[in-house]
Amino acid sequence: MADPAVLRRHAIRLHETAPDRDSAIRICGEVLADVGAVSPAYTAAMLERERSISTYVGEGVAIPHGTLASKEDVHGDAIAVVRFPDGVDWDGQPVRVCVPIAARGDGHVALLSALAAILLDPEAARALRDAEDPDDVIRLLEPVGKETTT
Amino acid sequence: MIERTVQVGSPGGLHARPAALFVAAAAAAPVEVTIRTADKPAVPARSMLAVLALGARRGTEVTIAADGPEAEAVVDDLAALVAGDLEAETTDA
Repeated sequence: MADPAVLRRHAIRLHETAPDRDSAIRICGEVLADVGAVSPAYTAAMLERERSISTYVGEGVAIPHGTLASKEDVHGDAIAVVRFPDGVDWDGQPVRVCVPIAARGDGHVALLSALAAILLDPEAARALRDAEDPDDVIRLLEPVGKETTT
Repeated sequence: MIERTVQVGSPGGLHARPAALFVAAAAAAPVEVTIRTADKPAVPARSMLAVLALGARRGTEVTIAADGPEAEAVVDDLAALVAGDLEAETTDA
């Protein structure tokens, strides 16, 4: 799983806008599809999961991902970073960054664990919310990719 | 301190949805609850980020602990929740 990086440069979008949560999730699905990580059908699974339970994790970050039933739409483990500088109302929580996740098997556990460990550092979380340069995002989230090379 | 050690029962581990259900239940408890794994220190069970950072997979042993008059019932309930299959409660997935 060491080949293509889990977070690829063109999966980082730092200046998106969305009027609401579902629109933000559709953008997330498009980005994951653009980098070849998922089929377009994955977006519907992300929306379904979000309606079942919020993927807001704190620190202005949400981690949209599909249901177990949608694993066949996942082609490879990947995350994206989609930043909404103006924020998105996420069931009452202000979301500034979405980290949509595509993973097969239980690969998402390692991805989520590494991401959560980074976000537990308030400085790192703020740096992610304020990121203007994809290089900064890649540097910040580098441990996420490393965790999956097990 | 009341403690229960159980193995994570959800096929996908204690990740997004199972973690969210667990955190919501812990946040609703009348006492402060912590959760830890064998190699990671105890963290507040009501913190989604802290619970996700544990990286508990199916079969990982986690220890749930709390203090106080209702701790026993709370810890029992949460331990049963973690040991069960939290994915199976998905209505339409």
